[in-house]
This record gives sequence, structure tokens and C-alpha cells, in this order.
Amino acid sequence: MSGTNRLHTPPRAGTGTTTECFSAVLFETMTRINVGIEDLELYEFRYALENLYPEAGWDSVKLDKQEEIERLIGRRDFYLGIQLRPRAGDRIVLDGNIVRLTRMLFAGLVSGEYPEEWVRAHFYFDIRGFYFIPRTVYFTEEVLVHFGGKPYRRFEQRQRRFERFQEVGYRDFKDANAEIDQAFIESVKKLISAREAPMLITIAGPTAAGKTEITERLLAAFEQTGKKTTTIEVDNFLLDREYREDKPMGKESTHFDLFMRSLAEILRCSPGSSEVVPVPGRSTGQGYKIKIPRYDFIYATSSHDLDGNLKEGCIPLEIEPADIIFLEGNFPFQIEEISSLIGIKAVYLTDDPIRLKRKWKRDIDYRKKYDPAYFRNRFFRTQFLRAEDCYRPLMKVCDIVVDTTGAALWATPEIVEILNRD
Amino acid sequence: MAKSTYEPKVFSKNLFGIMKRINPGIEALELYEFRYGLNDLVPEKGWESVKLDSEEEIVMRLNNRDFYDGIQIQPKAGDRVVLDEQIIRLAQMLFVGLITGEYEQDWVKMHFYFDIRGFYFLHRTLYFTDNVLAHFGSKPFKRFEQKQKSFEWHQDVGYKEFREANAEVDNLFIESVKKIIEFRGTPILLAIAGPTAAGKTEIVERLRSAFEQAGRQVTSIELDNFLTDRNYREAKGIHSEGKRALHFELFKQSLEDIAQGYKIKIPRYDTVYATSSHDLDGNLKSDGVPIEIEPADIIFIEGNFPFLLEEVVHLIGVKVVYLTDDPIRLKRKWKRDIDYRKKYDPSYFRNRFFKDQFIMAQIAYIPQMEVCDMTVDTTGASLWVMPEIAEILSK
Repeated sequence: MSGTNRLHTPPRAGTGTTTECFSAVLFETMTRINVGIEDLELYEFRYALENLYPEAGWDSVKLDKQEEIERLIGRRDFYLGIQLRPRAGDRIVLDGNIVRLTRMLFAGLVSGEYPEEWVRAHFYFDIRGFYFIPRTVYFTEEVLVHFGGKPYRRFEQRQRRFERFQEVGYRDFKDANAEIDQAFIESVKKLISAREAPMLITIAGPTAAGKTEITERLLAAFEQTGKKTTTIEVDNFLLDREYREDKPMGKESTHFDLFMRSLAEILRCSPGSSEVVPVPGRSTGQGYKIKIPRYDFIYATSSHDLDGNLKEGCIPLEIEPADIIFLEGNFPFQIEEISSLIGIKAVYLTDDPIRLKRKWKRDIDYRKKYDPAYFRNRFFRTQFLRAEDCYRPLMKVCDIVVDTTGAALWATPEIVEILNRD
Repeated sequence: MAKSTYEPKVFSKNLFGIMKRINPGIEALELYEFRYGLNDLVPEKGWESVKLDSEEEIVMRLNNRDFYDGIQIQPKAGDRVVLDEQIIRLAQMLFVGLITGEYEQDWVKMHFYFDIRGFYFLHRTLYFTDNVLAHFGSKPFKRFEQKQKSFEWHQDVGYKEFREANAEVDNLFIESVKKIIEFRGTPILLAIAGPTAAGKTEIVERLRSAFEQAGRQVTSIELDNFLTDRNYREAKGIHSEGKRALHFELFKQSLEDIAQGYKIKIPRYDTVYATSSHDLDGNLKSDGVPIEIEPADIIFIEGNFPFLLEEVVHLIGVKVVYLTDDPIRLKRKWKRDIDYRKKYDPSYFRNRFFKDQFIMAQIAYIPQMEVCDMTVDTTGASLWVMPEIAEILSK
């Protein structure tokens, strides 16, 4: 672990190599792309940059046109082609296309070929991962139209201060979202009081957006008001992994019939309609206790066979009736049959750069869950695909979107009308 | 102990409370996060299954080199590198002992520090042994406010804050070196030893520019360039320590020559191919290109063991050990070697840091502290000098 390194030698008159000039100019430019770079010393910037140094020098990097790059990052194929575990020797390294993109942007910024505003508009730079990632668009035209073009409420964007952070912990995150979270909780309470119990609530959202925390806070808020709450983890309805192959979460990868039946029972209504069927001998606002499959994540198997029957020796999960039932997990709740059963469909959103910083802290620093290079590849690959497959379709049909980074609460005109009632 | 004590949720919640007193940085965590960190260390058979060794046994084991030699740096579970078993066992014991009260918090704090990012306990390394203290007349030459105390809360430490925290002791050190050089005259050889991430490279850079500003010619010699071909060293089991790993005669001659003001040609070691430009007899290979070093006023010797080589120690005019405490160095390495350089697998890194500090202190740093002119202790914010040097500095 020798500490000597040639990178430490600052450029001196007459001896400065192109590499040293390049990194010095890039360092300065990058402070305008990501203000957090200002907290680095040139030393540190160079350490990180060294991993991206092209073998034949920065001059060797061929720059694609801006339009070509924009086309590339808007294409599904590009992300599908990202390898998660490419190796150099026995170490996982950054995917070749990711490396190439970052090198192009570095070289283009230094040469002036790519305007800084253009880079900022299409990419963000993650300091900890030391790479550029395309920005994901969540609020498409259709989504905006669905919400009547403007948010229901907007607060001060307190996550702005995370711009300088390399990772974001729970406490900082919670503090920054205090206002928007409170407004969301109050809104949900109001919606619930406007409707009959029992009610199903779903909160979908990308990884590390803050779903678990907000769900816990909602649960606590309801329990304080004397409501009975419970949660159903949708993942428990997954089929054995060997039958699912690579099918995404949905009808074909789950015990869908069982799922529908369970929801209907706990809501005491007939499947496919939200009509409440009175249950003799039960107080109003109570559905049936249900037994649902149990999914074993270690063995990747379900307690139930493909016909929906309990396997021998397996134990189902029992879920008591409740007033408010949270459906946890990223199921495509926009599917017609399910959609009509759900009382409140919310999407809880946090911008990609912030989620990535949360994941550095949570999944890498604390959980030590992934190899860091695998993690960088995977985060790069997944955001676009998940937005396209999962979050944007949901946002087009959901009732509420909480945008924690934009500090804005979006609600459909119908919901706004309820929320504005006295 | 009530059975519920060991119930995972109760255990982790109580431990969270106690650990805030062991490492105040834990206060910045939410219980969620603490549990995420702890999860990897939960024993398969539950916390109640952890057998506790006595405090004396633990201390004895941790002061024995065999324990560190036995630490594996790349144990695997599937295809992932994991924490060494002994390291896990130590952390588990300390956690349980803290919960049951079997181990006093003060005792734990005295012998161990807890690194939050790595989520494990490490043994504190003792650098200022009795011999070292005696060498320096038992008290530091000068002591400043310990500004690194603010790092207790940090999980990693960057360059900027480190430099700022050390400003006072670094400045005094630079002034002191200038004074010694004025007194002893040039050309002079200057060697700075110190553990990984103590801040050697940065302080050498600052010294360099200070000298250059004063119009001095400065150069440096990297000890690593004198290494012989790795194949040869491995065949002989020499690795990279000591004179047997080096073209030692060439090294000695080079230092003698440059100390007299001559230009020198030294071997060039290729770190990619692990070969030297010189053969084992010290002759230039047919395709070898030596490094030419112009005469200078001040010549830095760079490397880990610059003044452990008896035959050359008299040639070195200023011998310095630059020290930073292990917990701070570890935090610097998280930032530098893991976050920025992405140099190691994080678990490999945790094992290796745990293993190396004791061993390196024994074989390299303590022996060098016992013979050096001055030691800079950045964490203690103090400058230690031998009586002879104190006299020069006080003039």
C-alpha cells in the first residue's frame, strides 16, 4: 500500500504532460457540471479519473455528435446491452459502453465540443461512482396531462443541498422531505376519511425512493387514529423462480388468481368489482382474514404450486382483516382487474441522482450488498428500463405522485376536488 | 440474561444505544441504518450462541503477531470476498459483551476502535512505546489543539479537511526541517517514513514547494526503483522488504554519490512487468534504461523503510516518521482507495487493514521511530524531536 503516486506531482512549468493539463482543465469544468466536485482536491479528482484514462490517451477518444448521443441514450437497446459483470482479471469493472460515454463527455467538455448546458440537461455526474448517467424522464407529456399540467402543492426543494453530498443518509433525507411527506400523509388521511373502509393502498416507486420509510410513517399515522392496518407484500404471490423465467412482475409471473381472490376477500367484495358485499355477522368495515402464499427468497420458491394449491409441508401467510391494507411491492397496479380494487394508488418518486446517493450509503456502505462496480453498472442500466416498464405507466393512471426531489405533490383533478373539500 | 435480550430487534436496538458511546459517529445513524450494517454480523445461531473470551485472553491474542498473520485477506463465500472469521468473531464477542456488560465500555474503548463504514472493531495500534518515548525524552517538543477530533463523526475523511486539521503541526514541522537543513548544510538526504494514508505524499509535496520557493534544488529517489526482478525475489522468498530485495550496493553507492553532489544513474523498476533495468549483478540489462538524477540540495528518499537499512542510515541527514492514528487513516483510505481509486474489493480492504497495522508497526514504524530525528503525530497534533534536534530548533 505505498502512498507514492505520480498523480501527486502537480504540473510544473515545462514538465506538464497533456494528461496533467487535461485533468486540471476537466477538474475545473466539472465543478460547473456537479458543484460537489468543488469539495474535492485535484489529487482526489485525479485518483478517480485514473480508472477512466484511455490507453491511447485522451486524444484518442472519438466524439459522437450530440444528436447521436441523445438518440443512443433514448434507446432501450442501449441499456439492455449494458453488462452487469464484465471482468478484467478477477475483478468486475465498469461496462465498456458506460466507460465510453463518460470518456466522450469528459473529452467533449474539455475540447468544448459539448456545451456544458447540454451535458447538464441530459446527464448527471455521480462523484462516488465517478461516471455520467443519463437523466431519466418521469414526467412525460401524458403524465403531466393526467395531473392537469401542474402540481397540487409545491414546497421548497430542500434536497438541493444534497447536490454537494456524495451519499445521503436516512436522517438527512427524512429532514429534507418533512413538508412534502406531511402533506402527503394528510392527503391520504383525507382520502380515507372520504371513503369507506376497508381500503387498499399501493405505494409504488423506484428503488431507494423512500417507500419503506413513508409506508411506516403512514402506518403509524393511521394507528394513532385508531385504524387497523396491515400490509401484504406482493412478492409473496410470485411463482417459483424456475417457472417465472425472466418475465416481469405481473399476471404471468404471479399466482394472479389467488392474488385477486385474496384482495377481494380482505375487501369483502366480489372479484373484478369494487362493490362491497355485506358479510353477515361482521361489523361494517371488516373483510375476511385471508391466507396467502409465502415466497421464500432464499430458495426462490412459493408455498403454492402452479395450480394455486398449497404444497405439502408448506405454510401459508395469514393476514388479519384491517381497515387499511397496504400492498407493498412494485406490481403493475395499472392492470385493469387490480386497478379497480385499489382505493389509493400512489407513486413515491425521488430523482435518480439522489436515489443513487442513498444507495451508496445504504446498499454499499451499510449493507455491503453488492460489488461496487456491479452496482454502478446495474444502476446505470436499470433506471431507464424501469421507468419505461413500470413507473411511467403507473404514473399515467395513479391518483397521487409524491416527487420528493421536486418537493411537489401531484394529484388528479378528481383527487384534488376531494382534498379541497372542507 | 433475559431471553429477549438476544432477540434480534431488541439486541440491535440496545446495541445501537451502547455503540453511540463507543463511537459518537453512530449518533448520526438511524436505527434502520445501524441494523443494515449489523445484519451481516448476526450469528447464524443467534446472538446467544456467541461464546465470550475473557478480557485478558482477548488482549493477549491481539498483542501477538500470530493472530494477525492468521487473518485471511481474501476468504470467500461463493464468489464474494467476505470478512475474515476471526475479525467477525471479535466483533460479535464485543457486541455481545457490551450488551451483557461482561466487557466494560471503557475497556472496549481503550483497546479497540469501531469503524462505522467497515462496521467492525479494530485493535488500537500502540506506536509510542516506552522505547520510543525514551528516545524523545518522554514529552513532545510542541503540542497543538487536536483538530482531528472533529473527524470522530465522519465515516470518511477527504484531503481538504485533513490538510486543514493538520495546518499547525504541519507548518511547525516544515519550519523545523528548514532549520535543521540550515544547520546541517546541503546537499542533504531527507527520508519520511509513515504508515499508509498517514499523509506522507502531501507533506512531501508541501516541503518540496517550500524548498523550491526558497530557491533550493529538490529531487527525489524512489526506493522501489532499486527492487530486483520480482521473479527472482519470489523464488528466494524475499518479497519487497529489506536490503535483500534491493540492488543494495547500487543503492548505497547512489546515496553516497548524490550526497556528495554528483549526478547519479539508478535502476528503473517497471511496476507493470515487475522487472528491473538491472541484472542481479547490478549491471544494466541490454534493453534497460536507467533513471538519471541530477544533483540537488535536498534529496527525498521515498519508500516505507528508508532508514531501517543500517548501512545507509548515516547518509540520511533528516529522518522523519509521519504518523496519523489508525482510525483516521482508515477513514482516509475509505475515501481515497475505495471511493475514488476503486482500488480494492471493500471486504478485502477491511481484512487487509485489520491485518497490516499491527504487523507494520512492529516491523517498520516503531523501529524507525526509535531512531528517527522527529516524529509528526498529526492526530495527537504534536511534534516529537530527539533532544539533539530540540537543541537545534531552540537556537
